[in-house]
Amino acid sequence: MRDDEPNVPEASVSRRAFLKGGAAATGALSSALLPETAEAQLPVATTPDARRTMVEMRVNGIPYRHEVPNHTTLLEFIRGDLKLTGAKAGCDRLQCGACTVIVNGRNIYSCTALAVEVSGAEVTTIEGLAKDNALHPLQQAFIEHSGYQCGFCTSGQILAAKAFLDRHPTPSEDDVRLAMSGNICRCSAYKRILESVMAASRAMPV
Amino acid sequence: MAQQVTGQAGQPGGALNVVGRRGPNIDAIDRVTGQAKYTADIELPGMLTARILRSPHAHARVVRIDTSKAEALGGVLSVITYRDAPKVMIWGSRQYVLNDRVRFAGEAVAAVAAVDADTAARALKLISVEYEPLPFVLDPEAALAAGAPQLFEDGNLEGQPRVVNRGDIEQGLKESDHVIARTYRCPTMWSGSLEPHAVVAQWENDRVTLWCSTQSPFRVHANMVAQLGLPDSHIRIIASYVGGGFGTKSAPHVDETIAALLARKARRPVSLRYSREEEILDSNTRFEVKMYIRMGVKKDMTLHALDIRAFINQGAYHTRLGGLGNHATHLYNVPHLRTVQNRVHTNVPNTGPTRGVGDPQECFGLDSAIDEIAVEMGWDPMAFRLKNIKRNGDPIPRAAGGAEDGRLVTQALDRCIEAGASRIEWTRRNQAPNTAQAGPIRRGMGMACTERTGGGGLSGAQVKVFLDGSVIVFYSSTDIGTGSRTTLSMIAAEVLGIPLKSFRTVAGDTEAAPWDGGSQGNRTLQGTGRAVEAAARDALRQILAGAAPLLKATPEELELVGGSIRVKTETARTMTLQQVMERRGRSVVGDGSIAQGQQGTDVERTSAAHFVELDVDTETGKVTVIKYVSVHDVGRPINVTIVENQIEGGTIQGLALTRSEEMRFDPRNGRTLNANFLDLMPPTMMDFDPRAIEAVIIPNEGLAGPFGGKGLGENPCHPGMAAVANAIYNATGIRLREVPFTRGAILRALNDQRPAASRTA
Repeated sequence: MRDDEPNVPEASVSRRAFLKGGAAATGALSSALLPETAEAQLPVATTPDARRTMVEMRVNGIPYRHEVPNHTTLLEFIRGDLKLTGAKAGCDRLQCGACTVIVNGRNIYSCTALAVEVSGAEVTTIEGLAKDNALHPLQQAFIEHSGYQCGFCTSGQILAAKAFLDRHPTPSEDDVRLAMSGNICRCSAYKRILESVMAASRAMPV
Repeated sequence: MAQQVTGQAGQPGGALNVVGRRGPNIDAIDRVTGQAKYTADIELPGMLTARILRSPHAHARVVRIDTSKAEALGGVLSVITYRDAPKVMIWGSRQYVLNDRVRFAGEAVAAVAAVDADTAARALKLISVEYEPLPFVLDPEAALAAGAPQLFEDGNLEGQPRVVNRGDIEQGLKESDHVIARTYRCPTMWSGSLEPHAVVAQWENDRVTLWCSTQSPFRVHANMVAQLGLPDSHIRIIASYVGGGFGTKSAPHVDETIAALLARKARRPVSLRYSREEEILDSNTRFEVKMYIRMGVKKDMTLHALDIRAFINQGAYHTRLGGLGNHATHLYNVPHLRTVQNRVHTNVPNTGPTRGVGDPQECFGLDSAIDEIAVEMGWDPMAFRLKNIKRNGDPIPRAAGGAEDGRLVTQALDRCIEAGASRIEWTRRNQAPNTAQAGPIRRGMGMACTERTGGGGLSGAQVKVFLDGSVIVFYSSTDIGTGSRTTLSMIAAEVLGIPLKSFRTVAGDTEAAPWDGGSQGNRTLQGTGRAVEAAARDALRQILAGAAPLLKATPEELELVGGSIRVKTETARTMTLQQVMERRGRSVVGDGSIAQGQQGTDVERTSAAHFVELDVDTETGKVTVIKYVSVHDVGRPINVTIVENQIEGGTIQGLALTRSEEMRFDPRNGRTLNANFLDLMPPTMMDFDPRAIEAVIIPNEGLAGPFGGKGLGENPCHPGMAAVANAIYNATGIRLREVPFTRGAILRALNDQRPAASRTA
């Protein structure tokens, strides 16, 4: 690896940052702690609702402003609110990488980040990778080297590779293996994923 | 990279322009841009989100279930329990979709559909269920003991034991010069896919459409006909993009019916997606197999007697598919053979067919025993196999039974073994375990063989040629990552003479395409592939008939080459396909519905030999694969890239079984302890170096499949466990007869191997 920063995605921002989210986040927390029987009797939401927050972010260059329940994950926001379904839910708990997106240049597991934590960020999903109808070199390489089988993990694989190559443009094969080890390909097309990422690294301008 | 393959111009059967080449999948762009729509990506107006309430008990009666509070919650549109579910067993299973008796922890008890996931989750908590816990049993042998908790009124044994008898096993063992008796065990393992099960159900009057993550739409279709009591024409199953299956999606489950029932009750479309935990608990797992093997050989290196007594842990309900493969009956010649399979119900989660079904387990037992007896006799295990494998012309059962009423044809296992031995340089192998080597690392080599049927049965497809000369292949088996959209289009492109770039597919749709058995058991290429070939020939016949008057020739005088129709003997007399189609004024639909069964005495199988070289660190128990050569007979590969990708991926899945993926159950309550990826540890790119894996395709041509192709998908994950166990023995002298080969298991075995004085406590 070229520097000390691991490429393996972080779950989200730190717990401290989460708590610093203030009243909104605290509201979500206390609501989760309510006894089960009380939940049914929760009053109908009124406005302004401490359990909802306005989030703003640029996704694939387009600015969005949505009010979401505080516990909405970034994955739920992208898939549910923005209707961008390229990121997949494979495990819901940062164990597979199918939900990987890029936030401010870093690959993260969107299933375990809250949308409110990412508010203000620049987000790239697989739908935003091709520019002006030209595929990204990684997409081209995954096609040419058949770096997938069922394709369910592919969005995440490509985005994890992009975040890595953007910071490590001339990696060794072992660098790539380590960097991509947060993304499971259950079909185990790993040989061809490795070839795809290496080919893209050669094709991409340094 | 694989060796060069057949399929070039000049091969028997004529020059091939498309089949036998490398190349990307025709749907690759959809997969790399996020455009491919999987079931959970489908959103319909007014669609509800469903969730399932699951039993915490491994075995219990539902005494009382109260859903009134859940139903009263705002935003909940339907709640169902066993009272709403049909008393109809799921296809291939003893399970009712919802029941007042649960037989594994995680079984569905009730389900809700609500306006959003949060509301559905809250509603689940408001359902009150009173259970009467019952005694449970997790081990298949314990389940057959007197006094064991009984899952069903007719006991825990599923049907009669499956018995194969050939010769006289006891006499054969008596006649043998050397006999070993060994026990091998593969635990319950998770072998599923990355995409969890997902269903979207939509009713229109009394007709229902189900978008499903399934491998086998018409199996789901048959189940829905039975569950819903509707005519078959009222049910449509669509499985377009499927995020992997590996057998766990080859049979119907509870999810399709639950979604349909919820949607009918709510009068709204319903989407149901399993969480990862639900997927592990309630899809299908790889069944536990315990094998008691006795094997006898003669001094002339012939295998003389083989006795396998197996206990197969079916889990709670699974009935139809499963059991051992056909290694004992179809791989080696042995005059005295007996196999007894006891298929037993226990209170572990549902099992079912997973990649290879029982083949990997049987291969582990049989090819470990082959290695053990060869070592004890001082024979090279490869030479022993070459002496005893079935070769072309050898007698072999036509069906799964013991009677060798057929003869083997188009087999290439001997060539697989020889090619693999050459690639891995088998002659470098330790003659005896390398226990005297300096340092902690021991290097060794092992191998194992496998075989399987290539599939077949009833298949159907249609090929539609449009006015612009482009083509859609309609089929109702699926592309679960196997590349069938591409492979099937290549078959049609080869027949039609239309460039591959003009092809699209509609996959997995029971209404748009004819009946087909589905994508399991190596059958898509051999079955659906033949149907596509027939459909393309039918379309070609119609196109040439339409072109004949335009070119003032008979159809027989015409050919379609490179997208143009021309007179064979006068190639300048030509029209483009588009010109012909536009003059014809309507599209062409070619139909291909076929039935393939065993005919005559020729028996075709598909086989492989795997070789592995690995290091064992005797201080840490770590096993590192140095080189792994997977040599396969696939007949003629249709798309070489896809075949290699399948072999490489399947090989890693086979290796995964050696190290992880064991499901563990709490003996106190029967619950699964590790229903998540952190604990099951499906392999990442770091676990096995993908560069160590080499796929080798043996040039061959089959009879059953299109253009000489044979089915492949299952086989690559069969031999891993046996090959690695044999290599670990060759490296260290320890023999592992239970998977997975964890570091702890290896260190324990190494410790036992040491002289007592030097053992660590």
